[in-house]
Amino acid sequence: MSYAYLFKYIIIGDTGVGKSCLLLQFTDKRFQPVHDLTIGVEFGARMINIEGKQIKLQIWDTAGQEAFRSITRSYYRGAAGALLVYDITRRDTFNHLTTWLEDARQHSNSNMVIMLIGNKSDLESRRDVKREEGEAFAREHGLIFMETSAKTAANVEEAFINTAREIYDKIQEGVFDINNEANGIKIGPQHSPANPNMPSGNQGGSSSGGCC
Amino acid sequence: MEVAKSEICLTWCPPVPDRSDPLSAHAPPHLVLKTMIGRFRNALYNAIGNLDVENAPNGSLLANGSGSHDGSSSTSSRHSFKNSDMKVKYAYQRPIFLQMFTDDEIQVTADHLVRPIMVPRDIQILPWFAGYAEAINAGKSLRNEDQASFHRGVLRTQDAPEDDLECDREWEIPYVYFGIFDGHAGSGCAVTAANELHQMVHKKLMGILHHLVPDATCPSSCGQGVMWFPSRDISVESLVIGALESAFWEMDHQIGDDKRRYKMLGGCTVLVSLFILGKLYVANAGDSRGVLCRNKTPYPMSFDFTPVSERQRLQQLGFQKPQLLGNEYTHVDYCRRPLRNDVGKKMLYRDAHMTGWSYKEITPDDLKFPVVYGEGKRSRLLATIGVTRGFGDHDLKAQSQNGSVFIKPFLTPQPEVKVLDVEHEAISEADVLVMATDGLWDVVSNEKVAEVVHNGLKLYEEADEERQKYRFISIAQDLVMAARGKLVERNWQRNDETPATIDDISVIAIPILAYKKEYAEWESEHRYKELKYPKSASTPSLNGKASPKVLAKKHKETPRTDIQPRKPEAEPLKPRDTLVAPTNSSSLKSPDTSTADEDALEAEINAEIGVEVSADDDQINEESVK
Repeated sequence: MSYAYLFKYIIIGDTGVGKSCLLLQFTDKRFQPVHDLTIGVEFGARMINIEGKQIKLQIWDTAGQEAFRSITRSYYRGAAGALLVYDITRRDTFNHLTTWLEDARQHSNSNMVIMLIGNKSDLESRRDVKREEGEAFAREHGLIFMETSAKTAANVEEAFINTAREIYDKIQEGVFDINNEANGIKIGPQHSPANPNMPSGNQGGSSSGGCC
Repeated sequence: MEVAKSEICLTWCPPVPDRSDPLSAHAPPHLVLKTMIGRFRNALYNAIGNLDVENAPNGSLLANGSGSHDGSSSTSSRHSFKNSDMKVKYAYQRPIFLQMFTDDEIQVTADHLVRPIMVPRDIQILPWFAGYAEAINAGKSLRNEDQASFHRGVLRTQDAPEDDLECDREWEIPYVYFGIFDGHAGSGCAVTAANELHQMVHKKLMGILHHLVPDATCPSSCGQGVMWFPSRDISVESLVIGALESAFWEMDHQIGDDKRRYKMLGGCTVLVSLFILGKLYVANAGDSRGVLCRNKTPYPMSFDFTPVSERQRLQQLGFQKPQLLGNEYTHVDYCRRPLRNDVGKKMLYRDAHMTGWSYKEITPDDLKFPVVYGEGKRSRLLATIGVTRGFGDHDLKAQSQNGSVFIKPFLTPQPEVKVLDVEHEAISEADVLVMATDGLWDVVSNEKVAEVVHNGLKLYEEADEERQKYRFISIAQDLVMAARGKLVERNWQRNDETPATIDDISVIAIPILAYKKEYAEWESEHRYKELKYPKSASTPSLNGKASPKVLAKKHKETPRTDIQPRKPEAEPLKPRDTLVAPTNSSSLKSPDTSTADEDALEAEINAEIGVEVSADDDQINEESVK
């Protein structure tokens, strides 16, 4: 299916906060109560529509475990949006946000849109982090904020789509250089003169060898 | 050699070293003009070859067969059979066990900017929680041209042709196979090998199944040798090696046929590990490498075949069959490329039969381009390709004026097989076999790899069983990470700031102890079966396969209290090397062995084993008396 833009997202946050479940709810509209640990990175894709434009979201779902952290870091590059997720029933996952944010800021491009997500909003009775705390953290660090439930699907669509809208607005404002793939945005095949599959730089194999 | 290099540059322009692409063009200096054209052609070739016809017309990475890329036939004159109307045999894929089946997913893995490290989603998909990880190149080809596969197979006597086997009961011999293939100039061959080589290996193993069955009731065909013309002693080990070797040759032959029928460009290197009957066989044809890591020490399980490492074989072939060199290449190696004004002067050279250097007077004949040229990773066979073993490239020609020099048979599918006796070797948790393509080994030394493995294992030492499952995936990931490094400015850099590889990287990390345990279990299981279904007394041929020593050790290692006492029937095997061995008198006995004979044989065996089993023996004797 053709699209005007492709946005690359990355989902980050502690292990067990529901990153993979958010992705699954968004791409497949289903909830999987028992989910294996994500190792390495998983992908999902879905088409959305913003202001009449078809936009393809390519979502990278990362492993939350500490052991995989160094590898996850390399995926920030080339992401236009990040969903930073914590679990409202586990304060430690909220406390770790600063570290995640530092990581994200350090390894991503500066225009990356970050959405802070307090997941598991269906578990109100076990709530450990107040909604206001999430809001305050987001305000302080210039993030968008939402509480979601991957189980009931509450706000899941909105979280992904609002992030996309923010990115789209930034494109309209000319903040993003859409010709630089490192920004995590690609122009759809029919909108671009070049083959979007081609990597942007360093294509030369042996043939690029120059003369001495 | 430094001087030599600069002199060469005056006459022709060798391409900037590309350490990762085995197919980069060099041209003999007498083809300078041609080189210029050739280079342009190669640029096209590389572009098209990589975007080759496996690509569907819409630019999708997943082709479904009828690709209609028209530019391909006109550009790559180096590949002779090419027809743009042909279909691909297999659509492009990533290793099946990665479970990446959609176009989207495959495209994401091909992100040259990020080079994501891919691991299996399903932690249990590989046997023994073996780890796998891969990363794509930094843009040298559109796709990741490495491929990998694994296969858990069982050789069943019931599947064997009737006349092949006459066993009294069914046997099932399990094996595990891993393969890693580094494709070049297209992914067709590597994908084909990943999909088919294990089938070929299975077929070849089935062909020798009657030798593999550790059961005297299955007469081996070799055993029927007559006294005055005895058949030779052939060990199970050499039969398995032979199965692998013949599978490699047949696979390559079939790829040659496939190339006429399908769009299947380029070639691939092949590295296979096969775990069967308590042994690990590592078969290698190319420059991928298998290394057994034990604590911090690496033990290479394969040898890298490159133009430099195979210089003498290549020279010999050129010397024996000069017509293969098309009067344009020479089998002689020189300390530097002789130039026209060197004619009549003396220069150090090495002929096909030499390991050292000597002087010779340069004649005009010596101005031909050497069959092996360049150093290390830059070395090329016939100025064309950087690997000397593997599958495919049947259609690949060396650059030459009349276009008659083929890379085959210099490039051969012949593997070298190394064997580790897992059953008898002291194996611990620390023993991990790392199989990887040159993307890893080019930048990470064997020692460093062993260290990464060691550290990876240590990290999980305290972990619970659930987390332990992740260790080999984690190790494989760490190894790919070590080779890929990070993108710093515009360069991929390793942690120590040395350059990382820009090549595709694939790594498999296999715990050896897990296989050892699995084998021991199977071993005791099949002994159990033997008790359950005792063989008939009619055909106890003495052409058993496993040596008693082997058995003795098995007994010691895997005591099974539930199946005591051992009956004499449980000892039907005799030394595998005594199919006709005159040294062992028992092998010359009549096939109609009585119980008494068996007892005698067992006594002999027990004598070898030692005293540990003597208690059993008493029971057995009582048992047999009954």
